[in-house]
Amino acid sequence: MSTTQRILPKGVSEADFDAALVRFREILGADSVLTEGDQLAPYTKIMMAGDDKDYIPSAALLPTTTEQVQGIVRTCNEYKVPIWTISTGKNLGYGSAAPGETGQVILDMHRMNQILDVDPEVCTALLEPGVTYQQLYDYIKENDLKLWLDPPAPSAIAGPVGNTLDRGVGYTPYGEHFMFQCGMEVVLANGEVVRTGMGGIENSSSWQVFKWGYGPYIDGLFTQSNYGIVTKMGLWLMPEPPAYRPFVIQYDNPEDIEEIVDVLRPLRIAQIIPNAVVIVHTLWDAGTHVQRKTYYEGSDSIPREAIERIKQDEGVGEWNVYAALYGTPEQIDVNWKIVEQAFGKSGKAKIMYGEEAEKRGGGFEYRAALMRGDMNLQEFGLYNWRGGGGSMWFAPVSQAKGSETKDQTELAQKILGKYGFDYVAEYIVGWRDMHHVIDLLYNREDPEETQRAHDCFAELIDEFAKRGYGLYRTNTEFMEQVAGTFGEPLREVHKTLKNALDPNGILSPGKSGIRQ
Amino acid sequence: MKLTRRQLMKNGLLLGASVPLSLGAAWASDGGLADDPAHGSISLFGVDRSTTELGQGLRQQGWTPRYEGRLDPLALNVQPAGTLATGFTDEAGLVLLTSLLAGRGRVLALGRHDAGQHRLLSHRGPIAAPLAVDAGSWQAALGREYARLATASGSVRHSQDIKRPYGESVSATELSFLVRL
Repeated sequence: MSTTQRILPKGVSEADFDAALVRFREILGADSVLTEGDQLAPYTKIMMAGDDKDYIPSAALLPTTTEQVQGIVRTCNEYKVPIWTISTGKNLGYGSAAPGETGQVILDMHRMNQILDVDPEVCTALLEPGVTYQQLYDYIKENDLKLWLDPPAPSAIAGPVGNTLDRGVGYTPYGEHFMFQCGMEVVLANGEVVRTGMGGIENSSSWQVFKWGYGPYIDGLFTQSNYGIVTKMGLWLMPEPPAYRPFVIQYDNPEDIEEIVDVLRPLRIAQIIPNAVVIVHTLWDAGTHVQRKTYYEGSDSIPREAIERIKQDEGVGEWNVYAALYGTPEQIDVNWKIVEQAFGKSGKAKIMYGEEAEKRGGGFEYRAALMRGDMNLQEFGLYNWRGGGGSMWFAPVSQAKGSETKDQTELAQKILGKYGFDYVAEYIVGWRDMHHVIDLLYNREDPEETQRAHDCFAELIDEFAKRGYGLYRTNTEFMEQVAGTFGEPLREVHKTLKNALDPNGILSPGKSGIRQ
Repeated sequence: MKLTRRQLMKNGLLLGASVPLSLGAAWASDGGLADDPAHGSISLFGVDRSTTELGQGLRQQGWTPRYEGRLDPLALNVQPAGTLATGFTDEAGLVLLTSLLAGRGRVLALGRHDAGQHRLLSHRGPIAAPLAVDAGSWQAALGREYARLATASGSVRHSQDIKRPYGESVSATELSFLVRL
């Protein structure tokens, strides 16, 4: 079957789009305006259960400067061309590099990739949106700076700016990324540039150290939103600690999740365990390097008997807690005793570190690397678990209480089971909250299974919302539905802001369910 | 000393580090090839028999496959613009590859080779060869077809499903690609 039909932005005539493309080429140069099918193909690859035809861009633009972004935005206003902004385009499972809807022009910021400043004394960085974690990591190592990053799991190719703007998380004590962001430069929809926080003061040395500036704090408006295009962002980097002890605590029974969370919570709030701890289910721990078909060929949910075999063969528990201690050796020794005592009480936990943990197998090695801010791509292995290229992250938030965790786990397993999918999940433990991250893996090559995954995801959103659980982040196919669960008053505020800041609705229409 | 990825790339230590000698030897002794390679080199990724066969198909059409071992999409970043690359990978590799090509390269063709069928997608117009095995393996036929698409000038997106012969031995889904950086 051959396809030659030209894709145009919604509501834009061919003549106007051609005129806009001419202008884009004047601003960027012809090589930075992509319109050919084979160039745009990478921007059409999605992993969520949507229709491929709904996520095809009409063009992609590759700016290298803030001034070019200003020119693009002014042109878009003139011709009413909608753009969908990506930084490195690696939001895999949440929409990847594809537009929010067919016809939008991709504004791909990956060539804006300068590390503008790294200050090893106050431990800050100022970055452009195309900088990747690997690039920043290399810079730090090559300059022998004693600083750590906080990358997300599939980290090397993703970038700190995009991940922070989507409010992603990592695994060191700096795991809640937006908390450690400081100062932005933003191109507004009218083409003007604003610097947030202390950035408005000419020659300010405080832009990357004092978040709040003066007057209303607005940085949050530019996260998970479509109110502006972030062209520079400051972030705080963790000083390398004198010592570091990663460890794993293994529990064997499904119901142990309740105890784990209740033991962990006070340790997290008191910062005895300072990092973003993960509680990983068997199928995630094994799924990064094991294929499902080795244990089960059926198309329904993997049965308990197979899960038990995986636990046996891989040496992993039903729940596997990966955490770390940081500080001086003396501090670590003191805190280790507290951890051992807390988790040792019930006699259910198997606590391991050092050689014993390394020998155990499972995900210890790559988890230990992530918890000290090192790069790896181990979690891409999850895409081989079921095969077929389908992946959607379902990520509801809960309080860090065992009762809520138990409730969420049972609800998720029930709904996933009804649709024949596996519970491949982990909890990321914040200070007082938990991100329950479930990878809904399915075969996108099978239309029936894709529809089933779509229905399953929609039901997960609705049923979790009925029990008071909302998602912290979602993919472009379900942004509208998730926004609906947060209620109309909030949506009205979002819409009012959108109309005030972007009256032509040219910036990422539909992002987080926000439109004119 | 622990080297960063960028330093490894600069030193050329990362690429091709796992080239199986047996595959190189297979090509060295391969018969039935074009006498004079007409098209230059093409990076070839993968580690099993399918990759060898794909390489043979390419060579039959005048390409010189340069074996790169298991696909490390990050390694593609340091290859010069215009480099052609093909081969087989897994789901994770395909996700990485396509996402890394955004704004950096072109997807000329992709193939998903399941038990029942070959599903081919070309951005270089229609797929001509039915991947018949009467002239060798389907992988070699795919190599010949990818060799043709690598030089084709069409820009039409074309997808085609090709039924695989009954009884053909298939162990698992294989994913092929042809891209230009």
